[in-house]
Amino acid sequence: MSFSTFVTDKAGLQKFYEAIMASQETYAPVEKFGKFDFKRVSALAECDPESPIAKTMSIKPLFFPRTAKVMKFVATSAGTDVSEVDEDPLAVKRVILGVKHCDARSLQVLDKVYNWDYIDTDYQNRRQNTVIISTRCDKADTHCFCTSLDYDVENLDAMDILVVHGTDGKEYIKARTEKGNELLSSDVTRHASPVTEEITAPVLKSQYASFAASFRLKMNYKEVNEKLSKIFDTPEFENVSGNCVSCNTCAFVCPTCHCFKISDEKIKDTGVRYKSYDSCNNGYFTLMAGGHNPRPAKYRRWRQRAMHKFVYYKERFGENLCVGCGKCTISCPVNISIFEVVNQVSAAAMQE
Amino acid sequence: MNYTKQIQDIASQLFAEGKIDVFVGYRLNGFDDNQVPVLIKDPQDVHKLVFTDKSVFNLVNYLKTDHTRRKRVGLVVKGCDSRSLNLMLTENQVKRENIYVVGICCEGVTDDAGQKMQNCVDCMVPDAVVSDELLGTASGADTLTYKMNADVAALSNIPLTERAAYFEEVFENCIRCNACRHSCPLCYCAKCCIDQETATLYNGANTTSAAFHALMTWSLHLAGRCVDCRNCEKACPSHLPLHLLHKQNESVIFENFQEHLAGVIPEDRGAFYKYSLKDPDDFIM
Amino acid sequence: MEAEVKDQLVSIEKPELIAPPNWEPVIMGILCNWCSYAGSDLTGTSRIQYPPNIRIIRVPCSSRVDPWFLIKSLQTTADGVLVSGCHPGDCHYISGNYFARRRFLVTKKLLNFVGFHENRIQFSWVSAAEGPKFAKVVNKVTEDIKKLGPLHLYKKENFEKK
Repeated sequence: MSFSTFVTDKAGLQKFYEAIMASQETYAPVEKFGKFDFKRVSALAECDPESPIAKTMSIKPLFFPRTAKVMKFVATSAGTDVSEVDEDPLAVKRVILGVKHCDARSLQVLDKVYNWDYIDTDYQNRRQNTVIISTRCDKADTHCFCTSLDYDVENLDAMDILVVHGTDGKEYIKARTEKGNELLSSDVTRHASPVTEEITAPVLKSQYASFAASFRLKMNYKEVNEKLSKIFDTPEFENVSGNCVSCNTCAFVCPTCHCFKISDEKIKDTGVRYKSYDSCNNGYFTLMAGGHNPRPAKYRRWRQRAMHKFVYYKERFGENLCVGCGKCTISCPVNISIFEVVNQVSAAAMQE
Repeated sequence: MNYTKQIQDIASQLFAEGKIDVFVGYRLNGFDDNQVPVLIKDPQDVHKLVFTDKSVFNLVNYLKTDHTRRKRVGLVVKGCDSRSLNLMLTENQVKRENIYVVGICCEGVTDDAGQKMQNCVDCMVPDAVVSDELLGTASGADTLTYKMNADVAALSNIPLTERAAYFEEVFENCIRCNACRHSCPLCYCAKCCIDQETATLYNGANTTSAAFHALMTWSLHLAGRCVDCRNCEKACPSHLPLHLLHKQNESVIFENFQEHLAGVIPEDRGAFYKYSLKDPDDFIM
Repeated sequence: MEAEVKDQLVSIEKPELIAPPNWEPVIMGILCNWCSYAGSDLTGTSRIQYPPNIRIIRVPCSSRVDPWFLIKSLQTTADGVLVSGCHPGDCHYISGNYFARRRFLVTKKLLNFVGFHENRIQFSWVSAAEGPKFAKVVNKVTEDIKKLGPLHLYKKENFEKK
């Protein structure tokens, strides 16, 4: 079935956003200290749905929070009482504005692991109750390489509603899923007029063409993936990870990294067990009770990171874990680029 | 400021004489004029080395990694970096004879936007204080007149409640990735105290309270040692103004204890390792 | 002083955070073994009354007090902290309290800088012979903190991020 599409101008798009904020619980990029993070907003003035990709955090924390309560516990004379945590504040019906394509894609990738052997109901609830409104970038950033990967950026269906700034100066609002269609059929689109597929298709195509032409980074994904899977023991990993300072930032800003650690916060006899982010670049990440650490060296941790992103996840779930957003490279204090790492390693393997 | 040629010459000579195993410097990142640190092990790669006003990262950080431990290292240091190296030497983290230091008389480095960084504008020690070879002309800057950080001064003058609200926002935006700690050249502990697992004592979760605890503990462990290289701020993915905490400590130490800046004098362990009978006592009942 | 106290209360902005009736502050008292702890002992044996709000912890020397103790107690249950040691020159370990003094100043200023009222972090020198002084100090600290009200900044039980 076909979903509805609307056309409007710049002011109309603003009104569309405002109408959503008035009727729904909305999250959008809010600037703090020069960095945009997705927060609850009630007015368009507080946020910027067009936030620059280089300065925007991913939307992962809205589905997999940086810290989430797992349980509460109380120590009593009879033993320890464990109780459920309060209701999940992220599981309510909500809309997220200003999501980048790479971020939307990351959820599609994460769905696989969250629906795997253990079904994470919290994640499922958050996912089902969220409508994602994604804006297509007009121009790629310095470290973007989403078009080089294994997914089709142009026809991506990870978002519920797609907003495109057409090359003709108009704004196109396009539903991509049932959920998005439902939202668009309410009166939030009163400042826009419906259009047919025939009119929108060429505009979207030309917009995508100019966007796709603006990429600095391009790679042959198939080749890289194939080579990486064969070269586990290459010494090249030692060279590419040489200037890494193991600061963990890459994993914390990554839209698809999903490792976590468990920690207890306790006062007197009561406490809460938390699940917080962790990073495989951290030296203690694989440290076991008894002191054995299978990945003590930095290059082994980097190898794990690169291979998990480009090989292991693909083998297991059929998707590439890296979505090409470049957030890790931007946040890295020494600008190590995962793009460069995988290319350099696979190129070195070719020479061998 | 461009010492690319000199540094390349020095590095190749050191390799030729067999004095070093690895040279730590900067290289261009390959697509714009920004630079990334590079560890050169092969004399043939020496041509990659550059040094301009985009050489921002403090390379002393690499002295605590496996790549340089128990090896002879050539190292490029600016004024602030050399102070942290001085502290590493004083605290017995590295051996002086294992390091060949190329000191720079720094004229200030620039951030991504091309602006001179704020710590370089306020810099009191632009010349490398420890070096085997000093490049550039020493500025002879005055290290004894303290330049109060403008942000700290401004924050100190606003009402307590506003300041509390400001810092609450800072700690709330912390994502606890600990990049500040890992990128700090002086945080070399094998296991950091804020990473311990003991539930009652330490905070592993990412709450505002835990961020407050971690950042405050961290900044107090660096009080009297921080050299204001701003590696932490460069690493922070949330762009938090972490220098505020350090500069606040530094200004208190400088004004009240008549100490010189951290790491300026060799073999000086910092303000907390000594005392004076004249230290202020009026805040104590 | 009054205006500032009001400031701090207004800043809290949440109704449940204003001091409930009959609220009593919890004050963490960290006392050095050789002077202040003996001083507090003397206060008791001299039958001088002081408020029971202070929870005393004995440490070998005031220089044993890591600034982290103060951060930690403010973050968990305490509404204020009092650290007490020997008078300058009287330290059992000769110079411990001189080292401590520097740390205390920096810690106090930093905690004040991030938003704690300066009266929440207090220090005193009390010798083993100063029973009445100890009572006076505890009285003053308790009064100061009662005026400020309960501390809610960065409390651990406010677990959630907004």
